Amino acid sequence: MRGVVLAAGAFALLVLASAVMLRVYPGNKEFKVFLGAFAGSVVFYAAGFWVLPADLGFIPPAWQESSPAVDLGNGLLILVLVFHGYWCFAYFSCLSPSMSIMVELRRRGSDGMTESEALAIHGSDEPVNLIFRRRLPKLLKGGYVAEEDGAYRLLTPGQRVASLGSFLKRLINAQVGA
Amino acid sequence: MLKGLLLSGTLMTLWVVVQGVVFHATAPRKAFSSMLGWFAPTIPLYLVLYWMTPANLGVLSEGFVGADWRLGLLNGLTVHVLLFLTAGLFYSHADRSITVRLLIELSRAPRQRLTLAQMQEMCGVEVLMQDRLDIMVRNGFLVSRGSRFVLTPKGWIGGSVGRVARRVFRMKAL
Repeated sequence: MRGVVLAAGAFALLVLASAVMLRVYPGNKEFKVFLGAFAGSVVFYAAGFWVLPADLGFIPPAWQESSPAVDLGNGLLILVLVFHGYWCFAYFSCLSPSMSIMVELRRRGSDGMTESEALAIHGSDEPVNLIFRRRLPKLLKGGYVAEEDGAYRLLTPGQRVASLGSFLKRLINAQVGA
Repeated sequence: MLKGLLLSGTLMTLWVVVQGVVFHATAPRKAFSSMLGWFAPTIPLYLVLYWMTPANLGVLSEGFVGADWRLGLLNGLTVHVLLFLTAGLFYSHADRSITVRLLIELSRAPRQRLTLAQMQEMCGVEVLMQDRLDIMVRNGFLVSRGSRFVLTPKGWIGGSVGRVARRVFRMKAL
């Protein structure tokens, strides 16, 4: 029980810290903000587990886990799983093309949207789609692809990600090219 | 708590195997509905197993058996649901990631090399949007009225959540 309570507190701080940091962070590697907040939350969790009493001042004896290791590990597991969900939610909400469509349709109400309007939101009229304008510079900077003679070539780290992605798609029987 | 965690872990492992077989055998069009459908029975199964098995599962030492059984039950159930949601997200990463798809296309290209025009033709916004709009209609977020798409109540909730989240996080596309 102690681990769960501390994990809840650590996660609340993580959400607050990441929301604040994202507003002031000037770069576009937001994953650093999330990972930094997560690292801080784990430190807070571990420190709380070490420093605070086993009952946290209010947990009745019957609700205290008899093994501190299980209590610690259980709370950490919950913190990791909830953090992963939170991170995915944040990225999906802000950057997903599907969510962009839903947010725009929410604004338009019953007017709705045609497919060409949906395409225009993502820069279909522009020389470089919005989808590539965000991703290509990151792939170049991260060393996954290289730009050569007006084309993009896959580098070894990119090949590894592609191989893993293909494997996972085969595992779930998704189209490898989709 | 360990009893609940072990039961949850065992059931999740079984579910992953079963779901993998289902994906390959039937290729369901609504993947998440399929996952939910096969996961749902594990909840009552977990409860029944928790009730019927001894506190130490026949293998746990005394030090791991102590907390109130209700705490162990509830904790294990919470972890069980969280593990399912995490699995769903991993499915989404594998199936929907635009970046991974882009890298896969590059890996399959001659000399693993593509121009921007070729990449946009293979996995640019036109290809992506058609796919995403189809999925959103199929999953009940949008409905097609002639040439226009409008939100369903489910989509309206999704769009509202997205609107609030964007105001909170302020992550920009560029």
